[in-house]
Amino acid sequence: MAKGSDLDRVAYIVLHDMRGPVVSLVLVYTVGIIGMVLMPGPVVDGATMHMSIFHAFYFMAYTATTTGFGELPHEFSDAQRMWTIFCLYMSVIAWIYAIGAIIRLVQNPYFTQALAQRRFAANVQRLHDPFVVVCGFGDTGSLLARGLSDHRINGVIIDSDVERIKALGLRDYDVTMPGLCADASVPKNLQDAGIARPNCMAVVVFTDEALSLKIAVMTRLLNPAAKVICRSTTREHDEELRALGAVSIADPFESFARELSLVWHAPVQHALEDWLVGARGASMAQPIKCPEGRWVLCGYGRMGQWLYGSMQPLGMTPMVIDPGLTQTHDLDAMIVGLATRRNLEAAGTSESVGVIAATDSDTDNLAILLSARNLNPDAFLVVRQNHHENEVAFQAASADLIMQPSLVCARRILLSLISPLVQPFLDALEKNPQVMVEKTYPRLAEVFDDQPPRLWTVDIDSQSAPAVIDCVAPVELGTLLRHPSNRDRRVACVPLMIDRSGRRLLMPDDELVIEAGDRLLMCGINGAQADLEATLTSAYTLPYLMTGLEPRRSRVLQSLGLS
Amino acid sequence: MNLDKVIFGFFIVLALTLNLAFVIGPIDNPDNHNVWILFATIVVNLIATILKFGDRSQIGALLLATGLVADLQLVVCASIWTIAVYGTQSGLSATALASIVSIASGALAANFVSVTLVVADTLASRR
Repeated sequence: MAKGSDLDRVAYIVLHDMRGPVVSLVLVYTVGIIGMVLMPGPVVDGATMHMSIFHAFYFMAYTATTTGFGELPHEFSDAQRMWTIFCLYMSVIAWIYAIGAIIRLVQNPYFTQALAQRRFAANVQRLHDPFVVVCGFGDTGSLLARGLSDHRINGVIIDSDVERIKALGLRDYDVTMPGLCADASVPKNLQDAGIARPNCMAVVVFTDEALSLKIAVMTRLLNPAAKVICRSTTREHDEELRALGAVSIADPFESFARELSLVWHAPVQHALEDWLVGARGASMAQPIKCPEGRWVLCGYGRMGQWLYGSMQPLGMTPMVIDPGLTQTHDLDAMIVGLATRRNLEAAGTSESVGVIAATDSDTDNLAILLSARNLNPDAFLVVRQNHHENEVAFQAASADLIMQPSLVCARRILLSLISPLVQPFLDALEKNPQVMVEKTYPRLAEVFDDQPPRLWTVDIDSQSAPAVIDCVAPVELGTLLRHPSNRDRRVACVPLMIDRSGRRLLMPDDELVIEAGDRLLMCGINGAQADLEATLTSAYTLPYLMTGLEPRRSRVLQSLGLS
Repeated sequence: MNLDKVIFGFFIVLALTLNLAFVIGPIDNPDNHNVWILFATIVVNLIATILKFGDRSQIGALLLATGLVADLQLVVCASIWTIAVYGTQSGLSATALASIVSIASGALAANFVSVTLVVADTLASRR
């Protein structure tokens, strides 16, 4: 019914606003026709001619819309000419009024909003692939949308800021991303965005706290099966969201701290994660390595606290500089005050291995960067970039590691949306750094040159892999990975993890026998997914890959025993 | 008293009364069927229909439908009249007039339904 009521609203506004102009046009025509018939015409054979209603209507029809063809059907009398002048001006005024009303209607904000909403709902209806609803199109939202587009996942975007929705229209996404300028906490807007549809994968919320709570509640009510991912930066908000159940929480500061600690203890995995989400300059061959030792941490807000918490287990207790520190902060080493050059010097920057500029002001962070470099040119500089628009300035500052909370947050969410197995894979890998170095990196390096990676999940079931299910002989993973057009080549992809009813095996080997119900996390180049699907779905390709012989397709030849 | 309602009621009822004035009398007698009354009926019916635009209720939809039926039939009457007078040698014949009046009677029925609806709606809202 949502669509019908939109149409209703548009039609209602049009009809309602056009009543006045159309009535005035009818009246002008009527007066013109009556007058034209009453005016005495030229005298022919001593009798005064009068126009008939039909002729008068004909005359008005062309006089009112154009400047006229002339005096038809007879030459006019002067009385008729006078009336014509009156009709002309009257009808011009009526038409100007009508056209003005149409222009006003087009500019009517309710009308344009109703039209935009209708178009949006229709666009969402047309999406048949899985899609993600993104509420809030700020820094994080737009970064996520870009990532979704790179991985060919459709997005539906709602933001209450007109400028942001306009900006959305200017992006060049590879997939359809319908956007609506509206309040995302209104159930009708969420419904238009398709959250109740079966192909809605998840609702990702990047709005402020009160609003995101509302959106999460609405989504839980309208579609209890929908996955909700909310950005949250405070503990109270976390708790409120968790109380709703089945809401995933993405804390940009926590993700940031986790990423940074990854740089310390598993640099190759950090590079892998960066590379998987398509970050520029990510290289597993030359991962960024953070030195361990004495660090200076500038800023002890929400971010600083997370960082402090993640550095302590690694045996590094940083010197903290923050103006808001009091004695209640039980820190081993701290300086109360702004991270000025004097305080940086007092914190021992010149003897430290690195400085982290983690305040919530980009200007301060850049200033800290410059003073720190001045004090200690060899220090490893980590800087937090708060706003995406300052990108150029941060690139120019050439810090050793630039981290954007919004970007980190968007990437974590993107990874979890691409496949539900990605996060378990990364977690398992973090626990087994040996596997990463010995298997993951060499295998990936074999397949990829500099193509962007694609991640996908393969379900071994009768729907997506009928060939494997129907095959009598045991199927080895290595067989599946042979190329369907030439069994001596391999499909350009690497199986990262196999999930067998909850038991997970990292980097499975070729000899592993596939069983029904297995789920595989694959990483390959563009197009590898289609190659693999060809094998999984064709009853003839799989035997060819196993034996090298194409089985006979004809039933007759098979029954003759020739096969 | 609501001026909107007065104007609306005025045109709806006027459409019916003018239509009746045109139709009434022996069906093929030109003296009983004035072209000016037909003209006025068409104009008033058009205005009445436009005034019915933009009502979102169920009654509103039905009212608009009856208005459109009446307009359609009256425009057909005017067309037959024009063709009879200007398109044929014989002018307005008794047969042509009879069909014009009978079609206009159809419009009268639609107008009658329309007025009934308005009255019923008004009565219902004044419980």
